[in-house]
Amino acid sequence: MPYLEVDDLHVGYGQIAALKGVSLSVEKGQLVTLVGANGAGKTTLLRTISGLLRPSRGSVNFDGQRIDAMEAHKIAGTGLVQVPEGRRIFGRLTVSENLELGAFTRNDKAEIMADKERMMTVFPRLKERFRQLAGTLSGGEQQMVATARALMARPKALLMDEPTMGLSPIMVEQVFDTIQTIHAQGVTILLVEQNALMALSVADYGYVLESGHIVLEGQGDALVDDERVRHAYLG
Amino acid sequence: MSIAILKAPSVSVASVDVARTLRMGLLLGGVGVYLAAVGILAMFNERWIIVGLLTLGYGVLGLVYLVAGMISARRGAGLMTALASGILSGAIAGLTVSVLGLVIGPFSLQSVFTQLNGKLADSLALGLAPLSGLLVMLGIGAVCGAIGAILRFTPLTVRRPLVIAALVTVTAGLFQELIQIMLQDGPLTPVQDLIYEWEGLTAQGAAIVFVVAFILALIGVQISRRRARAAAAKANADSGQSLTKMGMIFLVLVLLPLMGGNYIGQVLLLVGLYILMGMGLNLEVGLAGLLDLGFVGFFAVGAYVTALLTANHPMAILHLNFWVAMPIAVLASVVVGVLFGIPVLGVRGDYLAVATMGLGEIVRVLVVSDAAKPLLGGPLGITQVPKPAIFGYGLTTPIQLYYLTLVASLVAGLIAWRLEGSRLGRAWMALRDDEDVAAALGIDRIECKLLAYGLGAAFAGLAGSIFAVMLASVYPSSFQLVVSINVLALIIVGGMGSLPGVAIGSLVLIGLPELLREFGEYRYLFYGVALIFMMQFRPEGLMPSKVRKRELHAAMGETSEPAVPTARAA
Repeated sequence: MPYLEVDDLHVGYGQIAALKGVSLSVEKGQLVTLVGANGAGKTTLLRTISGLLRPSRGSVNFDGQRIDAMEAHKIAGTGLVQVPEGRRIFGRLTVSENLELGAFTRNDKAEIMADKERMMTVFPRLKERFRQLAGTLSGGEQQMVATARALMARPKALLMDEPTMGLSPIMVEQVFDTIQTIHAQGVTILLVEQNALMALSVADYGYVLESGHIVLEGQGDALVDDERVRHAYLG
Repeated sequence: MSIAILKAPSVSVASVDVARTLRMGLLLGGVGVYLAAVGILAMFNERWIIVGLLTLGYGVLGLVYLVAGMISARRGAGLMTALASGILSGAIAGLTVSVLGLVIGPFSLQSVFTQLNGKLADSLALGLAPLSGLLVMLGIGAVCGAIGAILRFTPLTVRRPLVIAALVTVTAGLFQELIQIMLQDGPLTPVQDLIYEWEGLTAQGAAIVFVVAFILALIGVQISRRRARAAAAKANADSGQSLTKMGMIFLVLVLLPLMGGNYIGQVLLLVGLYILMGMGLNLEVGLAGLLDLGFVGFFAVGAYVTALLTANHPMAILHLNFWVAMPIAVLASVVVGVLFGIPVLGVRGDYLAVATMGLGEIVRVLVVSDAAKPLLGGPLGITQVPKPAIFGYGLTTPIQLYYLTLVASLVAGLIAWRLEGSRLGRAWMALRDDEDVAAALGIDRIECKLLAYGLGAAFAGLAGSIFAVMLASVYPSSFQLVVSINVLALIIVGGMGSLPGVAIGSLVLIGLPELLREFGEYRYLFYGVALIFMMQFRPEGLMPSKVRKRELHAAMGETSEPAVPTARAA
């Protein structure tokens, strides 16, 4: 049984269907990416997996548990943690406080402190910004805070929603480096990206979402070379 | 006379922005005319600040001219130019006000504005013949305008003590009655004789107060500057400073009623009750970001439950001791708070304010309704709520009840302070900033919100309980929407999320209007003006919390590097 499995998921906003029967699976330790254009339903899928939206049909299973009817905060408790789209850090709190909130589901104070120190080595830039309000950071730094905040939960799996959105090309490179580092440490990742070429080239497996349907799937490098993907997303 | 001054520095006069200066003069003159037309001036003229020399009314007019001078003097233009525009604009303002005095009689303005009568016209002419009155007023305007312009050029280290000293002097004059009571019959009687006459400061008294206040403020500004510099070097000095501030506020709160007698005690008792409520609402609004305009409902529950459990009244269901009834009342408020929170769980922001306002009104309407009349007494309320006693020692006077409130506030403050730094406090802040993300991080939204409503309500319930024994009765008319608004206003003015701010906000917004009762309805006018100015010039509140201060510095401080869009990334 896959680690994270989405089966025949239907989600709608009122009358408008955003996901029309999406199925995908992520094996433990894999880096899987979901690419697709604006409005394809990528964010809807992630929000449904993390419990912020309710599906009208279908199921989501994680680590042997069915989670599609669970409340969002309980899903976070199972170790499935989201890095939300547009970063959405707590701008009025400091970087340090943001990180502490990431560890909200944990109770091991000493370990939390140690993890905070560890984040400073993963993201050296944050060390200088530690006591600063997160809202005053640059876009790239805010992405680091959002990622570090999610890692503070010691997640079993990460859901990353467009982590490179609005970042400069250099920062995009850095974000992908970070994703690969995290992945190398054994964290399962479902990465949603508009930046299809880069996402597919680092992923073990990829899905292409188009207006609520999965239209293509396959090994990451195979999809990069796929004529249809090239045509649709890479121009 | 102003014309002569204007002519002297002919070079700089040429660079005066005449149109702007005229506009400012007329604008502030308009403020003066308004103050006269609504009757504030006439009322203020009955009050001496310095006996025989300066009434409050003329003081306010002088301030208006001074502001005219201050805002039309521009720093970039050089001292002489600024001085010229200050004088011109002050004179224009003075002229505008004088002209009002001249036209009151001929145009029988009194039929439109009842306050514009012969007496006012007389006072606007400073009791002189019309034309000479106008000239003197013009001169006063010019002088005040000049002072305003010079103030603009005074360094902050001097300007601030000057303003503080002026404020202290006016306060000493305005509250002469209270201060005289405090000074009377004690070791301080000689001080009283030195600076006061029967209805205000003496001229020498005003001078003494001004000079002493100025020197003290000068020292104070220097010390706080040095400390700010030290704090900048050392990151954590902030907490020590706010502790000192809190200690000072506390000392004032303990000693004031001892010196001021029962009237001050009564006012402070009310202030204390609002402090309690402010701390409760601060948990909801300041920390959890739940804008609640129905807060008065919890206050009402605390008061009614206390009355029902203790009163010597046919409506009362039990005749318990206050100390037993009070915790029950607090608990009842918590329950109501949680019940109150349930229907509005999914409501956010502005909509939440409206929804909670409705809930608060429901509480009040239920209490006055015929259905609840046999239980709660309807508009007649419940009377004969007995005063509490400690070890047989009755807490009957306002001062004694005030100390009860003070102790309650301290305990509540301690709880609120601990909550702020707790896991729950941090969860509230996360919820306030971004509800979805908070949930995705594992924060239980429902639990946190209901806890915020319940704990916030506990503080209001405690206040309500003391309120019931203070009045010895409860009536539905005490629980109007305006109570909720006042509590919200005081935490905003004090500084959202700051506990000492709650105390300061309550003293300023609840205490001062009570002390200024003799000005009747007008005090609400000042209340409004003060709120507007506050939000314009010090939106973080009088005593902001560390977080808010940080936000302000963030806004002014370094700008983050702009994010470059990834147009060409793929």
